[in-house]
Amino acid sequence: MNRNNFFIHLALALVLILVAAFAGQLSRWRKEWKSHIGPVPATDKKKATTAEDVALSETRSFGRPEVLVKFKSGVSQAAIDELTARLHDRVEDRIENVEGLEAIDDLDNADAANVVNEYVQFAEVEYAEPNYDIELEEVEGPLVPVLPHDPQFNDQWALANSGQRGGKQGADISATLAWAKTTGSDKVVVAVLDSGVDYMHEDLVQNMWTRPAGMSPYQDNELGTIDDENGYNAIDSASDPMDENGHGTHCAGIIGAEGENNVGIAGVNWKVQIMPLKFMNAGGFGTTKDAIEAINYVIDRKKAGVNVRVISASWGSTQRSRSLEAVIRKAYENDILFVAAAGNSSVNNDRSPHFPSSYNVPNVVSVAALDRHDQLATFSNYGVKSVAIAAPGVDILSTWLGNAYEEKSGTSMATPVVSGVAALILAEHPRMSVDDLKKKLLASTDPIVALKGKTISGGRINAAKALE
Amino acid sequence: MAIDKNSAVENARNDLAKRLKIDAADVKEKSVEDSDFPDMALGAAESGEMSGQMITRGWRIKLEAQGQTYEYRADKNQVRAYKFKGKNHRV
Repeated sequence: MNRNNFFIHLALALVLILVAAFAGQLSRWRKEWKSHIGPVPATDKKKATTAEDVALSETRSFGRPEVLVKFKSGVSQAAIDELTARLHDRVEDRIENVEGLEAIDDLDNADAANVVNEYVQFAEVEYAEPNYDIELEEVEGPLVPVLPHDPQFNDQWALANSGQRGGKQGADISATLAWAKTTGSDKVVVAVLDSGVDYMHEDLVQNMWTRPAGMSPYQDNELGTIDDENGYNAIDSASDPMDENGHGTHCAGIIGAEGENNVGIAGVNWKVQIMPLKFMNAGGFGTTKDAIEAINYVIDRKKAGVNVRVISASWGSTQRSRSLEAVIRKAYENDILFVAAAGNSSVNNDRSPHFPSSYNVPNVVSVAALDRHDQLATFSNYGVKSVAIAAPGVDILSTWLGNAYEEKSGTSMATPVVSGVAALILAEHPRMSVDDLKKKLLASTDPIVALKGKTISGGRINAAKALE
Repeated sequence: MAIDKNSAVENARNDLAKRLKIDAADVKEKSVEDSDFPDMALGAAESGEMSGQMITRGWRIKLEAQGQTYEYRADKNQVRAYKFKGKNHRV
């Protein structure tokens, strides 16, 4: 190839490349152009596209058809069109497979029921009906566990037992599944009848009950007026139920340490109102008379309009008191559940009763303690006739005095777990009666081999089941 | 104020001497053991007393006097005579 031929071929090649590139670009332009001016997608076909259409859209309905009208056999399409036009309607669609069935759009946007009434009056119409909304039935899938970001949550085996510290995976109350339904309600008040509560604890302060604005201070005929702004102290019938022991604060945290606040732990309820009641002193013991005074206070506050539905009682003794039983019965009559510790003496309460948990009053729920292996705690009392249910109660982490957290064991710790689950149920079913609430608790357990013949329910409380 | 083990034993010794109407020097310390008690009354509730049902760490104090053994229970908050002549007493 001589030098001239080479340049000719090179020029031809360049021309061919440019033509090919231009053709490619042309094709892309064509596609884009088509997408702009091509058929309007089906979903947009009712959109106004011209100025005239826009004007019409302001006066006409281009909505979905309001009614389905079945014209009688033999009615012509022309007659149908004439009739719909007369009513200022238009046939949106014909259902070809059902003779005479038309989807009709009312251009005046009239109510479907009225449109139906218009059509059924015509002899040509067999029937007419609104174009009902058909919605997917909400099918509940498996609950997705909800895990809070409270930094010490991983140590709360009672709520989520992943086998930490050698425990049995799943030996917990299924709190994380329950939380997929509710994390509690600040409309539910749980009275913690105990050594008081450190109501300034950083993980409790948001969930503490205070006397509602507008509600008068507590009035007792003999004791006089008591400013119960933060609860009630039955020891000296004064206003301050501040905990000097820690036990009541621990129980309160199990029921309702604020959840998802990036502080400490999570309670069974992330939101709840804890009413502190103090009848036990700095040593953790108190008198029957003061317990009665405090229960009497709860009943009075319930009557005054406070939605206190649960008393959590992590205390007791082997001494029966008919007066204490009577006031607990009065709480029952006022729709208040009484959750009580079964006791820690490893005895059968059917034979050696422990009070108040052994009172035969319908609102009393006696609670035994389980360890992290789903075994009855070695210390826990039991009773196939007298102990209702079991809950985690060994090495339970909860709030303590002075913004601290401690692990404690006892049926004292199992009791507020059940009180907490009761509060969760009430968050979902605020009007549930105390009888139904107790039934629900006893029916919401996971059967535990170790509890067979040891408790009435034979199982560990399951918060997720309680919310089913 | 929190009670320590030594002062708990001392309180128990003095209390027993008073109950038996003897000199405290005649009360001998038999044993003092760390112990878990079933409740916050150390399993030694007085009549009409209710206590938190939390396992409570304390000391089981056994004293000897007049040829008999007596048990006291104590923790940082309290000292109790356990079933002294059939009854519990908070010291």
